[in-house]
Amino acid sequence: MSRSRILTVLAALLAGLVFASVKVATAAPGEAVSVNRALISTDLGHKFTFRSRITNNGQAAARGLIAHLNIVGLDPSVYIDPEDWSSHRTIYLDTLPAGGSKTITWRLQAVSAGKVDVYVAVFSRRAIATAPNTSPAIRVAVADRKTLNSGGILPLALGVPAFLALLAFSVRVKRRRQPSSEG
Amino acid sequence: MATVEQAADLQVERDGPPGWAVVTAQELRDLWLGGRGLALSVAFSLLLSVVAYLVATNTALNFLEHRESVNLVLQIAIAVGGLLTLLAGADAVSGERERGSLESILLSPVPRGQITLGKLLAALSLWLAAYAITVPYAWFLGRGVGIVGDALVTGGVVGTMIAVFLASLGLIVSLFARSNRISLSLSLFLLLALFAPTQLPSNAQQGWAGELLLRMNPITAGEHYVGKILTNGHAWGEDVSWLLSPLVAAVVLPAAALILGSRFMQLRGGVVE
Repeated sequence: MSRSRILTVLAALLAGLVFASVKVATAAPGEAVSVNRALISTDLGHKFTFRSRITNNGQAAARGLIAHLNIVGLDPSVYIDPEDWSSHRTIYLDTLPAGGSKTITWRLQAVSAGKVDVYVAVFSRRAIATAPNTSPAIRVAVADRKTLNSGGILPLALGVPAFLALLAFSVRVKRRRQPSSEG
Repeated sequence: MATVEQAADLQVERDGPPGWAVVTAQELRDLWLGGRGLALSVAFSLLLSVVAYLVATNTALNFLEHRESVNLVLQIAIAVGGLLTLLAGADAVSGERERGSLESILLSPVPRGQITLGKLLAALSLWLAAYAITVPYAWFLGRGVGIVGDALVTGGVVGTMIAVFLASLGLIVSLFARSNRISLSLSLFLLLALFAPTQLPSNAQQGWAGELLLRMNPITAGEHYVGKILTNGHAWGEDVSWLLSPLVAAVVLPAAALILGSRFMQLRGGVVE
């Protein structure tokens, strides 16, 4: 093995170690996040709720915690915009004393059919480069239902203007005939 | 557009219908049997048909976007319905002046305030027609997401307030405009100015100044209210404070139009060049 190749391998190893030290961040040790449901079945357009409980298991009070709701679509063909599912997805928590807990009720609306996973991540404003504590993911199965009959639009889209045009035409014809019949 | 013969119809006998009712009936005949109202209705229905077709054939819409599309159709109906009443109001006096028929109307024994009221009510018939045309589209698009009732009631209430406001605004402009062209162009300019805040970026609409601007403008406030109910699923009472400016505008402007009409409806226009 040539000298330059050895140097290249060493440099790569060193870079890998540095990268790994940044990526493998430790989760904030104090908080645990749990949810009250594992599976939710609902219909398209329906609203549903679940609760998450954030417990401070540390020895000191936890300040500056932020709970954030995330929604991940499991079907690659369905685009999921979490903002559509819930307009209040970030909660800034008050100080949690040691051993204390806070329960948050999350309200969502199923706006797309299919399966999605929902979970809550808890961050600390004070910690930098630490992984958030996350709850177990809740599997949400949304049953599809037809909300729009796209085939039926054509008779309506053509029928209403046609009816009004016919009405306008008949009024015009009637009006034209009136003076001659009177005269 | 009344003629000398029609003005004779305005001779109100003591036991006959009130003057404003006679004027309204005459104006309605001119508008609807003359064909102008029906032609505008056909154009309006074509517009709604295009929008509804584009929405209904878009299979990528999710549930919320579907609700938003019902809101869009209703907002278009309110905006264009309001535009129609504004144009009818803007043509009401200055148009009669230009066609030479205002003199015979002024010579009739109907108080000028009642003439103004009759013309205002006739202009509002365009909104009623626009609303009736909107009903099947709102039903078709809204039934799957369960907002047909909300759409029709909020659209009816907000749209009527905005239509009353705009018809009165057009009528006031028409009273003082020297020519019909000036009346129509000035009314359209005012309408565009009232709609302009809806095009502001969302950041500019936030903050107290942005919200105040939206709340004070009857059109943006009314459309905001409709959007909150149809898109966000808010309860009726939740954003009811947004209806304050449309309500005030729908009371103050017609009252102003009636007062100004009774005092300033003259053969020659003026003030507004």
